[in-house]
Amino acid sequence: MSEPDGPRWLDEIAGELRREVPVRPVWRARLLEEVARAAKPSARDDVDDALGDRDARARYADRRRWSITVGPIVSLAAATLLVALGAGATYMVMSRVGGNASQRPAQTAASAASPQVVSSAPSSTERKVVRFELSAPRASHVALVGSFNEWNPVSTPLSRDPASGMWVVSVRLPPGRHVYAFVVDGDVTADPSAPRAADDDFGSANSVVFVSSPRT
Amino acid sequence: MSVRLLALTMAFAAFAGATGAQEVDRTLPSQLSPLTRATLERLIDSARVAGLPVDPLYSKVREGVFRSAQEPRVVAAVQRLTQDLGDARSALGDSAGAEEIAAGANVLRAGLHPTDLTRLRESRGRRADRPLTVALVVLADLATRGVPRAMAAASVNELVARNVSDGSLLSFRQNVERDLVGGRSPASALDARTRAMLDDERRRP
Repeated sequence: MSEPDGPRWLDEIAGELRREVPVRPVWRARLLEEVARAAKPSARDDVDDALGDRDARARYADRRRWSITVGPIVSLAAATLLVALGAGATYMVMSRVGGNASQRPAQTAASAASPQVVSSAPSSTERKVVRFELSAPRASHVALVGSFNEWNPVSTPLSRDPASGMWVVSVRLPPGRHVYAFVVDGDVTADPSAPRAADDDFGSANSVVFVSSPRT
Repeated sequence: MSVRLLALTMAFAAFAGATGAQEVDRTLPSQLSPLTRATLERLIDSARVAGLPVDPLYSKVREGVFRSAQEPRVVAAVQRLTQDLGDARSALGDSAGAEEIAAGANVLRAGLHPTDLTRLRESRGRRADRPLTVALVVLADLATRGVPRAMAAASVNELVARNVSDGSLLSFRQNVERDLVGGRSPASALDARTRAMLDDERRRP
């Protein structure tokens, strides 16, 4: 059957495809046998159906259970994608936490001293250990954000010192001027004991810590 | 690869991502729109070509993203900081380091004039190699806390001219802050602490 308005070459191709391919009778008979065997339920299935056995249903479910085989490259790609999605979601949540900061009262009080350089590091990077402290007795979570940790609210949490009750963290910083703030239960707040930065472009002031170079 | 191994791989990757070392990241956050990223890249490239320090600009962008600021606000903040960095560098001279320029920009942001930076630079006298970063940090802090700017600039100039050390400058700032918290007026606190610091310097052998 050809389209009345179709091109002639298309009719020729269609005719060629419709032409029956000669198959040996032995092959044809074997194929039909296989088809018949696959379509016919086994004797065991017949018995199971007749008895309504729960075990039989379980066996049937077992046979129907599917599995996925994943290659290592695909697995790695999937893992990377999921990690990226997770990191993005975490960052969004934490960003929202930071954004709500000005809506809640800070629960901080001035600590005794500015961030203190605890010790120098004789490494080639000349980093020094700086101890940050904050008195926030009612806070449940405090983190440090600043130019030295890409303003990441997850990377530098403070822990409560059981002896003093202060929230503390020690960070190795290179020499120079660093701008930072604390995140206290979602509130972004400057360090009350440190010099203030005047760059409150985004709602609240930051603090400044200066780490001197061994050469100066 | 089994599902268990896949889960372990994912967990390890997540852990590594969360605890990875943080270095100065000179890339723009992916959360920003392509248009904003292009605008910021142009701004930062211009600053780089002008010889200005660009790390404060990247930090400003990241701070804005952290604080969920609107993108136009982030761009405006970076534009303003670029302007302040340029003005600070002009006022402090070409020999000023990146930290001094950033601190100087912060002083300008606190409301002082570029001539205040130039005077501070000149107050070093023959000790021209002494970095002014701490003096600038103290000056910006005093101005931010409500100390009259002209008074703050004059006091810090005087202390730098007397070659007061960076540690003493930071103690001076802390004492002024303590007085302010105690209820003293900014002008009075500054005057008293400046005199005390100068007296200490005179007594020093």
